[in-house]
Amino acid sequence: MNFSDETVMAYADGELDAASRAAVEAAMATDPQLAQRVARHRALRERLRAALDPVLDEPPPERLLEGVRGAPAPRHAANVVALKRKAAPRWSWPQWGAIAASLVGGVLLGPLLLRAPAGAALVTRDGQVLASGVLARALTEQLASDQPRGAPVQIGVSFRARNGDYCRTFVLREQSALAGLACRGREAWRLEVLAQAPAQPAAAADYRPAGSALPASVARTLDELIAGEPLDAAGETGARARGWKP
Amino acid sequence: MLLPRLRRFARALARDVHDADDLVQIAVERALTRSAQLRPDAPLSSWMFGIVRNAWLDELRARGRRTRLFAPEESAERIGDGSQGAHADLLAVQDALARLPEEQRAAVALVLIEGLSYKEAAHVMEVPIGTLTSRLARGREALQEMLGESTGALR
Repeated sequence: MNFSDETVMAYADGELDAASRAAVEAAMATDPQLAQRVARHRALRERLRAALDPVLDEPPPERLLEGVRGAPAPRHAANVVALKRKAAPRWSWPQWGAIAASLVGGVLLGPLLLRAPAGAALVTRDGQVLASGVLARALTEQLASDQPRGAPVQIGVSFRARNGDYCRTFVLREQSALAGLACRGREAWRLEVLAQAPAQPAAAADYRPAGSALPASVARTLDELIAGEPLDAAGETGARARGWKP
Repeated sequence: MLLPRLRRFARALARDVHDADDLVQIAVERALTRSAQLRPDAPLSSWMFGIVRNAWLDELRARGRRTRLFAPEESAERIGDGSQGAHADLLAVQDALARLPEEQRAAVALVLIEGLSYKEAAHVMEVPIGTLTSRLARGREALQEMLGESTGALR
């Protein structure tokens, strides 16, 4: 049986339905030329991948990471001059967070969920990103002044926002480290910002009273929201006892 | 993590590492300012590949304008023959990719390098599947031709 180039290509690319695939495979068993045509296609794919895959292991340049975090970054701009810089992106959940997180964090949210970490810590609902799983539990129960070493979530600063809601910063250490800030709504913790956290040394598990280790975007959001001072240990315990209700 | 994949895709399109990272940076900025356009049912990666590619098309158009207005066509950069091993192979492959018509290069990069299905790649390039497969077939053939011997040698 003679197969067209398109069919052979589709076979090599895994694009044929089961019946056509079986037909090609049966023919390949007795037709070395056909087998060779398939092998050629596969060899080309391997060659391209072998050449370009090392790019995946390069650390992305800082300017790209800055761009994802929303900070203005200078562009190399030797050749690419036609493309004007857009205004720095504004925080707009949930899409911004979903995009930024998936660009740098390997976490995709809600409907975008491609590779959910075990017990997905974030979900989208009604256009908002909410904490779930371990993150929701830690935000509700864990005290910054008394958190288990090596827990998947480390709570940072707890405070009251200007609108009265309780908010807390956290570092999520599942997958790559993500840092964020969530505020307690009526039923759930609503994410205000999420960013890739700087690498966490083991010592980071210790309680830190200030937002010292927070990514700039999280610290900025904290500054924008906070009313007065962060809660101290007693304030935090009291807020937890009231279920974080304003 | 999507960022490294976007960089790989951009490198296949643009060859020069700085140009490629500029494309990714532009794409990230566009993505963040246009995040409202993201359809929840479409994979984010496809959407981002499309933005990178459109940024590249913009850049090619701008280069075309600049070339027509200011300068004779620059001769393509030649590749140093002193390079060794994996880096030399990257350059050889990028050189071959750079000689493909843009639409074939994008089809090859999306399917063979990024591993998208025909349907996904057609969606990114905003063309029917038949158009995608014929671009892919032609691009492949040209690459076999250019890289032929060493591809054959590679088992």
